Amino acid sequence: MIIAGIDMGICNTKAAIMKDEKIIGRSAVPTGGIDRPQQAQKAYDEALKNAGIAAGDVERVVSTGKGKFDVAFASEHYTETVAAARAAQYALPGATAVMSAGADETLSAALGTTRLIDEFVLNQKCSAGIGAFLEYLGARLELTLEQISNCDGPDAGEMNEGCVVFSELDALSLLNAGAAPEAVMSTANRAAATRAATVLADLTASPGGNVVLIGGLAKNAAFVKALEARLGRSFTIPEDAEYCGAIGAALCSVKGI
Amino acid sequence: MKKGQIWETRPLECWDLAKEIRRSYDGAIAGTDKVLGQGMTSWTLDWASAFPAIRVVEDNPVGAMMAAQDEPFARNCRLASEVRGWGREICGYHNTCWGAQFLGNTADGKPFPLRNFTVPFPCVCDSHIKRGQQARDFKPIARWTNDFTMYIGERDEKREEAMLDHRNYNTLKLLNEMEIVFGQKLDDEILFEMAKSYGSINDMRSEIAYYMTFKPTPLTVKDLYSFFQLRPSPKMGPDVLSNFWKSLRDEVKFRVENKIAAVGTERFRWLEAHPPPWHFLKYYRYMERYGAVCLGSQYSNLRELIFAEDGSYSVRSFTEPSYEAGMELSTREDLVRFMTTPDARSPRHWKIEEYIEPDKLNTMMRIYNCDGALLGIWRAGVGCTLLRKEQAMRLREDGYSVMVYEGAQPGDRVDLDEKRMLEQLDTWMESLGYQMLDDE
Repeated sequence: MIIAGIDMGICNTKAAIMKDEKIIGRSAVPTGGIDRPQQAQKAYDEALKNAGIAAGDVERVVSTGKGKFDVAFASEHYTETVAAARAAQYALPGATAVMSAGADETLSAALGTTRLIDEFVLNQKCSAGIGAFLEYLGARLELTLEQISNCDGPDAGEMNEGCVVFSELDALSLLNAGAAPEAVMSTANRAAATRAATVLADLTASPGGNVVLIGGLAKNAAFVKALEARLGRSFTIPEDAEYCGAIGAALCSVKGI
Repeated sequence: MKKGQIWETRPLECWDLAKEIRRSYDGAIAGTDKVLGQGMTSWTLDWASAFPAIRVVEDNPVGAMMAAQDEPFARNCRLASEVRGWGREICGYHNTCWGAQFLGNTADGKPFPLRNFTVPFPCVCDSHIKRGQQARDFKPIARWTNDFTMYIGERDEKREEAMLDHRNYNTLKLLNEMEIVFGQKLDDEILFEMAKSYGSINDMRSEIAYYMTFKPTPLTVKDLYSFFQLRPSPKMGPDVLSNFWKSLRDEVKFRVENKIAAVGTERFRWLEAHPPPWHFLKYYRYMERYGAVCLGSQYSNLRELIFAEDGSYSVRSFTEPSYEAGMELSTREDLVRFMTTPDARSPRHWKIEEYIEPDKLNTMMRIYNCDGALLGIWRAGVGCTLLRKEQAMRLREDGYSVMVYEGAQPGDRVDLDEKRMLEQLDTWMESLGYQMLDDE
């Protein structure tokens, strides 16, 4: 059985083609603005090409992510938390919790034994957009994604940890005070991790020892380092961390919730 | 038949009467011939209606209504309060209601009905001590005060007695002085009629809460909230309201006996902790698309039942146990005691859950046969109290699914991300294996 999962986030749209619960193709394209449906189609087409199959070979297409209803050709839609939980179980059998940190949303879920999710926490509105902010700040500081990921040096100074608008103002103040771009970025990575950490810490259920971290920010080594330090724990990070939403949605369609 | 329908359902027959009463509400308090005051009346019965031309307007429903009906206006009201130094985290009911006072007009453009007196009293939950200060600061008006007879720690009957004496003294003083200040005579006969009506309406409310424990529920909390302001204020006259609540009680009883549901697709039952975001009650209807029905909260239903330690429960009578049944009501002081006694650390009072019996919601979950709970964490205003996360933990320990959401205040739209809240509800339902009935 071949199922396609599409995760339309606010920055990137990811597609994963799963055959018998194995990934055979994937792709990611920018989500864009008003042309979201076309971008979903583009991500899907590229993933099909990558898998070496035609659309007719796919039994069904399912979607997740903030723009899941913009994927007009998807027949099923799953919430991001449920897709993340399924993906975590796929990435790490025996996973006890999942944390997803993306461009917009940060979420955590304690996985259950009798049901998929025992408890979940989504970030507050005022602490949304940390992934998008880091990417935006990096671009402003003329740093590549790889360079952003390596920015885990000493802090440049104080930076607000509760709101990306305040964080940006602090970043500009630090730059105006003469701080190096890499130092400002290091501080931003740490501030973002502090903010994201609360989403896992807010679970009243124990997240257990096997927590899977997924989403685009899982690829930001400096962010992950700061997050682990903040929470005093390590994470399992799947190789396809940024595709886990799409993978999880496809698995939800196969396995149910 | 609606998709997913399990139970027979039909609209409540009481709606027309409720709407008629509601329409007459504003007319009953408005008018330049009335002396308007600010205060909290519904807890103790609308004593002001026993004066020929004194009416008390509570700012909570006024503020909530403004936020619900006209957000741009409500936003202007809040700003008008903020620029006068009132913090945005002050209860949204106040900031919106009194912001309109500062602006000089109500949402429909009519002149704001200025208050002629104020009766603030503190409350354990938030900024109630500030009640009415905006009105007092605006122009010199008469001010009386009262107290909130709640305390924490071990029960101390002597302390309660002293607190009640204090409160009764203040209330009697208030009534007596009002007669002097405004030159109006309080009609003790009307007060007596209202007290009787108040007691009987509360008893019927208790019965209705009991009927809501049945499956399928004959009434949802959304319905109940629509009737909230019809209780126990006898602005229409005590008989009209008593008759309404009797009709509702009888209809609800009939629906239980005949398994007529409020929501024909009921398959998931949930409770809340505290008041909802009043401007966003549509989330109740949204949840019904999953077949999920809200039965109430400790705010709306807790007071109505008596819970025994062995897990049994019974319908609470207003006169039990905090007021002696059949006690003679012959003097004004008797009436005042009747009005105030149930507030003293009463099991009726929902605040008691917060401080003294924190596991009450677990008990309610069991009695109401619930599957889950939705707990709002408010940054200010009513419901901004302790223990919400701890409450979630206790519920989870008993195996209930719990969702927590965050917002500013029940009476204020600021910061409640409605879209995100609906997405959270989707996640909650989906994680429990429910899909929208339209999608199944």
